[in-house]
Amino acid sequence: MYGLGVLKGFGITIKNMFRPAITVQYPEQRLVIPKRARWAVRQKMDEDGVPKCTACLICVKECPDNVLRVFTSAKDGGGKRIDAYVYEVGACMMCGLCVAACPYDAIEMSHEYELATRHHDNLVRVLLRDVDAAPIPRKPREDAPAPTGGTEATDA
Amino acid sequence: MTFAVGILLRFVAMVALLLVNGVVLIYMLRKVLGHLHLRIGPNRVGPFGLLQTTNDVIKLLTKEDLRPEAADAWLFNIAPFLVFVPSFMAYIPLVFGPDLAVTNLDTGILVVFAVLSLVPIGVMMAGWGSNAKWSLIGGMRAAGQQIAYEIPLLLSVLGPVMMAGSMDPAKIVAAQAGTWFGFIPRWFVIPQIVAFVVYVIAAQAETQQTPFDMSEAESELITGFANEYGGMRFGFLYLAEFSNMFIVAAIGTMLFFGGWQLPWITTPGWAAPFVFMFKTYVGIFTMMWARGSLPRFRVDQMLAFCWKRLIPISLVWVVVWATIQRLTLPGVVR
Repeated sequence: MYGLGVLKGFGITIKNMFRPAITVQYPEQRLVIPKRARWAVRQKMDEDGVPKCTACLICVKECPDNVLRVFTSAKDGGGKRIDAYVYEVGACMMCGLCVAACPYDAIEMSHEYELATRHHDNLVRVLLRDVDAAPIPRKPREDAPAPTGGTEATDA
Repeated sequence: MTFAVGILLRFVAMVALLLVNGVVLIYMLRKVLGHLHLRIGPNRVGPFGLLQTTNDVIKLLTKEDLRPEAADAWLFNIAPFLVFVPSFMAYIPLVFGPDLAVTNLDTGILVVFAVLSLVPIGVMMAGWGSNAKWSLIGGMRAAGQQIAYEIPLLLSVLGPVMMAGSMDPAKIVAAQAGTWFGFIPRWFVIPQIVAFVVYVIAAQAETQQTPFDMSEAESELITGFANEYGGMRFGFLYLAEFSNMFIVAAIGTMLFFGGWQLPWITTPGWAAPFVFMFKTYVGIFTMMWARGSLPRFRVDQMLAFCWKRLIPISLVWVVVWATIQRLTLPGVVR
């Protein structure tokens, strides 16, 4: 019948009127973040609390937004020292390519999603400052992506 | 002296009713729409968000009064008042109780719809004076819509007016006292059900509520004719919208639901305004309910619905009811 759908719609909304709200009252209640959700990049530490980063800079090269910068210097007696591992969280799009590319499993996507701040300076984070880079392990981790066989295009 | 004081008091009461009503209705709209959509609505400012609209009013009052450089200054400045004043004037004939009205007009119903028909002119001026394309489209749509829907609105009002034999709201309400057959309240909605349905639809369109909010369709025109307005000028446009909502609900209460009278029992004088307000707010709730349930019409659908369905239905109903009343119910006319 003409107009029956309208009445049905009215019925649905009035039923909703007496159902509890389904919205999550955010600051008081929070949703559980899915396990594989990707938010701000975080450094991983080994069992002793030492960063696993070797300062290989693959993450820096991989990042499409250029939000990662690693400043290194040579250490006396060989090896690298990380002066600063800088992460511009304000420009990061949380694509996770850096984590996927890391051969040493040294960074991860955390579940830190409340990224709004009151000051510009908080948008640039120094994840590591003035620490020794981890020595390169003999074998990269098993599930590291195989190097793609692409070649750079060259001018003829 | 007492005459002047009386006029002043009535004026103040009207302004107070309009403003308080606006604040309450905006809060109510947000809460009702929220719950209809399984949300909560405002809940941050004050307990249950009660102070949200008061804060909004303070914000509107303290905002800078901006006017676009290219706008037509005279039209732009005068338009909000041309929208606001008619809806203010329409409070004059409302009957809140046996002796509670600003003034008794013999043609009160006609006066309400006459002043409300000035609203589209103000809306057109706002749309044209803003000198912006969305505003202009919104103003044009509002004018076309309101002028079209005034016809079924007025025709649907004719039924109760014929039954009461008067255009005086007090007399129309008084004609609805008592019962039919001893148990059916003598409310005009029962014999005039067709006119009532037409009235509800036309009133919804006349106050530019969804599903007929062509003139300010957010997804199409941002806020239509009110686009370029800010501060208290926008506040006037907004307030007029809610005030019109109250007026059409109040008129519907008076015409179809016995005004301030309770069914079956004699209403004590002190309870009359509360009964009237309760019935009016039920009507407003229904309008908000429709607003939260129905998607927006397309412009051509809306106008086709008015000219091809509502106007013929209401015209036929007027003829049918006039015939019925002439032939079988000579006693109805007093």
